[in-house]
Amino acid sequence: MCFSEENSVILYMVSQATVFQYRFAPGDSLKSEMVQMEKEIIFEAKHMRKEFGPTIALKDVDFTLRRGEIRGLVGENGSGKSTIMSIASGMQPATKGEMFYKGQPWKPATMVEAQDAGISMILQEANTIPGVTVAQNIFAGHEADFSRFGVINMVKMKRAAQKVLESFGIGHIKAGDLIDRYTFEDRKLVELVRCVTDRTEILVVDETTTALSLEGREILYKLIHKMADQGKGIVFVSHDMDEILEQCTDLTVLRDGDIIGHLNRSEMDAPDAVKTIRYMMVGREIGDKYYREDYDTSHGDEVALELQDVSLGRIRNFNLKLHKGEIIGMGGLSGCGMHDIGRIAYGLEKLEGGRVIRNGKEIKTPLAAINSGIGYISKNRDTEALILNGPIQDNIVLPSIPALENKTFISPSSEKRLSDREIDNYRIKCHGGRQYVNTLSGGNKQKVSFGKWTAKGSEVIIMDCPTRGVDIGVKQAMYALIEEMKKEGKAILMISEELSELIGMSDRLIIMKDFEVTHQVERRPDLKQTDLIEYMI
Amino acid sequence: MTAIAQEKEKQTLQQWLKAHGSAIASLGGLVFCIIFFTIGTGIKGESIWSASKLSTLICDVIVTALMAVGAVFIYSLGNMDVSIGRQVGLYSTLLVLIGNATGSLLLGILACIVIAVIIGIINGAAGELLHMYSVISSVVFMMVISGITTIIYSNVGSKNIILSGIDLSFFRSPLNMVIVLVIEYLIIGYFFYFTKFGKYARAIGANQRAAAQSGVNIIKYRVIPYIFLAFCLVTASLFQMGYTGAASDATGTGFEMNVMVSLILGGMPLKGGMKSRLSCAVIGALTFSLLAVGLPIIGVPTRMTFMIKALIFLVVVLITCRQKTGPLPR
Repeated sequence: MCFSEENSVILYMVSQATVFQYRFAPGDSLKSEMVQMEKEIIFEAKHMRKEFGPTIALKDVDFTLRRGEIRGLVGENGSGKSTIMSIASGMQPATKGEMFYKGQPWKPATMVEAQDAGISMILQEANTIPGVTVAQNIFAGHEADFSRFGVINMVKMKRAAQKVLESFGIGHIKAGDLIDRYTFEDRKLVELVRCVTDRTEILVVDETTTALSLEGREILYKLIHKMADQGKGIVFVSHDMDEILEQCTDLTVLRDGDIIGHLNRSEMDAPDAVKTIRYMMVGREIGDKYYREDYDTSHGDEVALELQDVSLGRIRNFNLKLHKGEIIGMGGLSGCGMHDIGRIAYGLEKLEGGRVIRNGKEIKTPLAAINSGIGYISKNRDTEALILNGPIQDNIVLPSIPALENKTFISPSSEKRLSDREIDNYRIKCHGGRQYVNTLSGGNKQKVSFGKWTAKGSEVIIMDCPTRGVDIGVKQAMYALIEEMKKEGKAILMISEELSELIGMSDRLIIMKDFEVTHQVERRPDLKQTDLIEYMI
Repeated sequence: MTAIAQEKEKQTLQQWLKAHGSAIASLGGLVFCIIFFTIGTGIKGESIWSASKLSTLICDVIVTALMAVGAVFIYSLGNMDVSIGRQVGLYSTLLVLIGNATGSLLLGILACIVIAVIIGIINGAAGELLHMYSVISSVVFMMVISGITTIIYSNVGSKNIILSGIDLSFFRSPLNMVIVLVIEYLIIGYFFYFTKFGKYARAIGANQRAAAQSGVNIIKYRVIPYIFLAFCLVTASLFQMGYTGAASDATGTGFEMNVMVSLILGGMPLKGGMKSRLSCAVIGALTFSLLAVGLPIIGVPTRMTFMIKALIFLVVVLITCRQKTGPLPR
């Protein structure tokens, strides 16, 4: 990323502070025009209903988006927030109801049709085309603009793509490179570039920020504010309450397929706004307890997992001792090497040097790791942690199959029992263990990947971005579970890009930058995010 | 019943139909063939269910079904084995040669099992170890075995060899054929549905990376299905050779395509994974054989039967193998 260190710190501070005023103050010359435009409804859904078999995703929803609005949509996993805009953007049809876009009846058949008409949606999951260049991804479906006599002028396309990338401030991504060369974060930015064109009138950002690096988020924030200033409509779906409160002009809260209420900017600025919104989302008082409240960093003497002088790529001679009953948090920017440490500790990488030790034995493969009681929740949920095209039950029991085996026989009832227990524990919204994972919402998928390892009873759990895309109700339950695991003597390595959860949950916090440990700090009450940022950037 | 309840019931039925569309289409294809040929052959005065035709039908089904049941394991991995036909040809030849030399089938069976298991292990492991599509190693085996078979028959000095001195009546009884198929189905079904071998194979087919991260030893559980197939191929070879009492350099030719077409007709997803079903093997083999036996009876010229089979195959593929829509965000 082409940000200076100083700028990056400022950008981060800006994103953390509630300094939205500058963003919501369009120039005077535009003011009267904007006031007029803000009144204009750009999109409207009436009595929208959506059913997935027996599951009702949306009951009878009326939703309005006006020009110049950045409307946040919040709700628990499965509340229906993504469904509304996925219907508006042509991904799927509604079961009932009608939609109006720019005053005309609206019923898009495909996402391409919606995008051509000006409604673009950036999805939570990876949505780039592998095996082709960045330029081909950006102009997918618009190849004709670069074609003559059926032959695509790739040089012209590459040049145009690079220009667009530069205009978005992500010139470090090269249009001629294969998309596969880039990280998930960068691919998400390419997706953003592809979705937003001059024609875009409504941009839907569906839990995208969880997949973006800090710099990527800033780029997205700048873009949506610029678009809102131009009188376009933005729908911003996120679980991150701070982000919602900082970036949005209006807020709609959903619960169980119903709209519970709307908040305007002044209501969002009220001192107890977060508490109110959480109550609306969950339908009950979830209390103030979120993270751990104790500051007891004691843990067992026994080392549960040790990384000795580990070297791989740019990581050189990395050492770590994780004890029984200890939570170690690892933080940093996404490319700092912390995610690699998680993979190394689970035996997923072939080391150039050093060893990973558990109970005196060296861990070289995931199988050895699992057999020694280690579990791993991958950051790449859809491609590595879950079998999307498989039932919830089969996903949950997969690591536990050897334990369920009697001679060679695996009883279907014991599988069901184990799976149902985890479905109940995590309150996974489904109509049974046979439901396919690809029909679940993002948060419910994450619950399944969590459930795999609690079902297995792992003693050491490596969590890479464990609460990514998970709503506050579930987050709270997961934090409580992690705390419970600590009390039970389980060792946890928690890798996260959310400093607040690392500070809130870890006994010891390790900050990495450029594949090196730059700072280590013990849990303490006065520890703030600002104390750590300088070691990250 | 209220309107809402009726609507609900309709939705549930639609959902059920959607979830089981592939199974319904393949089973529906079989039922259609049964009804069509029962009426069609009845009109022609030569019922397909007469003792002689039923016997022909069972004999036609048995070898394909025995192979296909084992191949379900391979297809569930998302793999394909095109050496199946040549393997059956080689094992039939070896059974005749060793049977004639020893006066017993036992040694021949053991020799075939050893060879089949070795081929299976190499076929299963090669893809993963050499980072290539496993079908490539099976193509290599297809060629190698063709070469070996050619050498054997040129050394024998004939294109056809006959087994003598051994009672093969067991392999000619339709009842025994059905019993063996049922036993094989139950054994493979047990391993496929109730043991880690089948569960891991389907998990690998659905998402190998997720399976590996869940502790599945990919090489091991890619190899084991090929060992199951090895036993099924030797069993199929026994019935192939036993029914005719002979083997030739053409024995087994095209069997791999029969297996593939049968599995697809039976609704097997070519990508493998969690939707793989063992019943695809039997449903598909039955449909395939009904077409082979029934079409000539109703007067369709042999040259046309291939066209009709191809057409039906195409329709089934369009219904069952289409890419389903992606995740439904909520």
